[in-house]
Amino acid sequence: MTRPETVAERVTRLRDDFDRSFAEPARVFDDENIELLAVRAGDRPYAIRLAQASGVHPERPVTALPTTVGALLGVAGYAGVVVPVYDLAALLGHPIPQRPRWLLLTAGAPPLTLAFHELERHLRVPATDVIAGTVDSAGRHGCLHGMVRLADGNRPIVDVPATRELVHQLAGHRPVSEESR
Amino acid sequence: MAEGKDPLRYFRIEARELIDQISAGVLDLDQRAGPEPVAKLLRFAHTLKGAARVVRQKDIADRAHAFEEVLVPHRTGEAPLAAEEMRELLRLNDEIAAYVSLMEQPPAPASTPAPAPPPSPSPPPPPSPSPAPEPEPAPAPAPEHLETATQRASTQDLDELLDAIGETNTRMAPLRAGCATVERLHRSAESLVDQLRLDRGTASGTARAAAARLAGDLGSAARRFTDAVDQIERELDDVRARAEGLRLVPVGSVFTTLRRAVRDAADAEGRRVRFVAQGGGIRMGAHLLGPVSGAFLHVVRNSVVHGIEPEDVRLAAGKPAEGTVSVEVERRGRFAVFRCSDDGRGFDLDALRRTAEARGLLPPGAPPPDVDALLRLVLQGGISTSPSVTEVAGRGIGMDAVREVGAQLQGEVRVRSTPGHGATVELIIPLALLAMTGLIVEAGGTVATLPLDAVRACVRLGGDEAVAAAASGRLVHEDAAAPFLPLAEVLYAGSTVPDSPGVGAAVVVNGPDGVFAIGVDRLAGTSALVARPLPELAPASPVIGSVAVDADGTPRLVLDPAGLAEEVLRSHHGARPMVAAAAEPLPILVVDDSLTTRMLERSILESAGYEVDLAASGEEGLEKARSGRYGLFLTDIDMPGIDGFTFVERTRADPQLAGVPAILVSSRASAADRDRGRAVGASAYVVKGEFDQEQLLDHIRRLVVRS
Repeated sequence: MTRPETVAERVTRLRDDFDRSFAEPARVFDDENIELLAVRAGDRPYAIRLAQASGVHPERPVTALPTTVGALLGVAGYAGVVVPVYDLAALLGHPIPQRPRWLLLTAGAPPLTLAFHELERHLRVPATDVIAGTVDSAGRHGCLHGMVRLADGNRPIVDVPATRELVHQLAGHRPVSEESR
Repeated sequence: MAEGKDPLRYFRIEARELIDQISAGVLDLDQRAGPEPVAKLLRFAHTLKGAARVVRQKDIADRAHAFEEVLVPHRTGEAPLAAEEMRELLRLNDEIAAYVSLMEQPPAPASTPAPAPPPSPSPPPPPSPSPAPEPEPAPAPAPEHLETATQRASTQDLDELLDAIGETNTRMAPLRAGCATVERLHRSAESLVDQLRLDRGTASGTARAAAARLAGDLGSAARRFTDAVDQIERELDDVRARAEGLRLVPVGSVFTTLRRAVRDAADAEGRRVRFVAQGGGIRMGAHLLGPVSGAFLHVVRNSVVHGIEPEDVRLAAGKPAEGTVSVEVERRGRFAVFRCSDDGRGFDLDALRRTAEARGLLPPGAPPPDVDALLRLVLQGGISTSPSVTEVAGRGIGMDAVREVGAQLQGEVRVRSTPGHGATVELIIPLALLAMTGLIVEAGGTVATLPLDAVRACVRLGGDEAVAAAASGRLVHEDAAAPFLPLAEVLYAGSTVPDSPGVGAAVVVNGPDGVFAIGVDRLAGTSALVARPLPELAPASPVIGSVAVDADGTPRLVLDPAGLAEEVLRSHHGARPMVAAAAEPLPILVVDDSLTTRMLERSILESAGYEVDLAASGEEGLEKARSGRYGLFLTDIDMPGIDGFTFVERTRADPQLAGVPAILVSSRASAADRDRGRAVGASAYVVKGEFDQEQLLDHIRRLVVRS
């Protein structure tokens, strides 16, 4: 009954799979698994939920901005839109001198980019491996929400909305009316 | 492509242009009758008629024809048109405009490939030229025009153009890589030459020469190639920015509407009013111009109705019979200022006070409010100064509209009024997108742009000059010591300035309170750009005004002259005189026994902007020097009595005068005389035989004492 797949059939199947992979939107496939990015910011390992990001870009030129906000590295251009770039390590309270290489465009408005130093890998882990709760021994302002259990150790998860909240606080010190004169 | 689908595409554009010209022409004719404006209008109407017939727009063609009929009898002769004729022209004008607007409304090209039959609009209700009972007749279909289908279509064209430019720019990448390759080949060839030179025994002289030639050729090819690519990139960048700038609408496009509003209001009120507009060339986003022009329609009407007095009142007050309403638009840094002024009676402050009291806006028993407080009440709305609610100017509707637009666009409204002399309403709005030409500068490894219209001059600085300017915080430019600060210090405030070649040029900038200068490493040309505000979450130092995006998509900082000025002055701790422009040079005393020389020197100095005092002898010179305050002495040597050397010597010996520099001007050219001049304390020595005006002025600029 089960005859071996011919080469032509196999090619067709592979082609269909290939095409489908483009046709389908990238998404979290189910509730049981969580997609994460394993990153390093300021020499420490972290994980970021993929669902909270809308893009990851390496080596994008960042125009430095004279500013009083230490974590604000500058601005970068995304398809004609100018987006502020914040150093994730600095936001988490442990900046290092090296310029971060990767830029993570966050979901939400107004546009915001978080810069980190290394992108290690993409992970899909069972939801049970993610431990909820605020693990905030190292981070400040509650930017870290939960941990993910991995073979090479546990990683704190950077909560993008909480980090965005911190950025809003930092940037909000100067009211708009003042800067316009 | 598109013209196949949409036969009216170009007619819409042409008709819009013609109708704008006709509208303006009618108003011109209204103010200044004569064969010339009539001929111009006939030309436009005739063109429109012809074009409308070609695309079978009978309604428009017929009205254009009727328009011509009215004008034809007035081709010759200076007599103004009769009032009804004028009204008829305005009516036809409005009807044609309404047809054209209607045509612009359906979103441009239909998706069906077959040419759609030309839409035959049912005649829209022509705006009534006679006073209508509606509170707001608004005859001009103004702000909506700005975002008509035509505009949208041309925006689409522009977007396509921008995409194409972006595409071309990406094609530049292989060229850039090619440049690098040629550069690499050049280096390889050079090292080959070096090797051949070392292996003297094995390689023949011919091979060495050939290799050297090859290296030379590759070197110059690499240079030419790189230069050409740089050039193309710069030009592409320019083209892109200009295309972006085209998305912005010139302010002048709303002037006709405002002018018409003034005319209609004047007609309704029986006043004679002249409309003056300025600053039409400034471009801004249609989303800003639309609301502003809507609000300013009310403001100009208010000016006519509330401001301009009846003719007899004006004449009695010694004013010209014809009133003037002027609208000026100017760009002030990142802001656009719209100003409407009239020469009417100003706000009726008593009426304002009474109304405010009647409405309980003023606490009873409180001291009478001053003018500013009353004008603030006007801005708060609900108060009109007109004794009756007329159709053109409702109860303070105008001010309400301006206030709302101001709030909506995050702007500011200011009102000034001088009783009997007129009122001014000013709306200041921040510009989101702003087309400008920028001067690109490099400082400490950062590239920034300075709006070119704020730049007064660029000066190359030698190493010593740069050090001196940085140490003193001053740069002498055009007879003034301008406050100076290296830009890198501003951009890297609080952090270490990275290694850079150091200041090589100074840019002299017009600040809000005078001239100042910034030091930059390098000037890198000018470029057209569209500046936009910084993103919300990027609080930056006030020296950064906005940001532009270059052809690669990388943000480029645009410096704010006002912010820079503050920063430069702050670095001076206010200890030194704040503003260079305030430091005027003191007068110069010219001492010479020759009338011709005195007059010649005086004319040179005066045309360079100095005040000059004359003395015909050394004695007179000393007397004047002691009785007045001078910034510099310019003296001849050979004079009867006290000669120049003695004059200089005596002034150096006088503690009151020792601080005033002295320059000797003489026909003596020997080294011994120069030495003597130096010995007695002259600051400079100029030989008459080789008299060079510029050289003399250079010395003076450098030396003159300022108040």
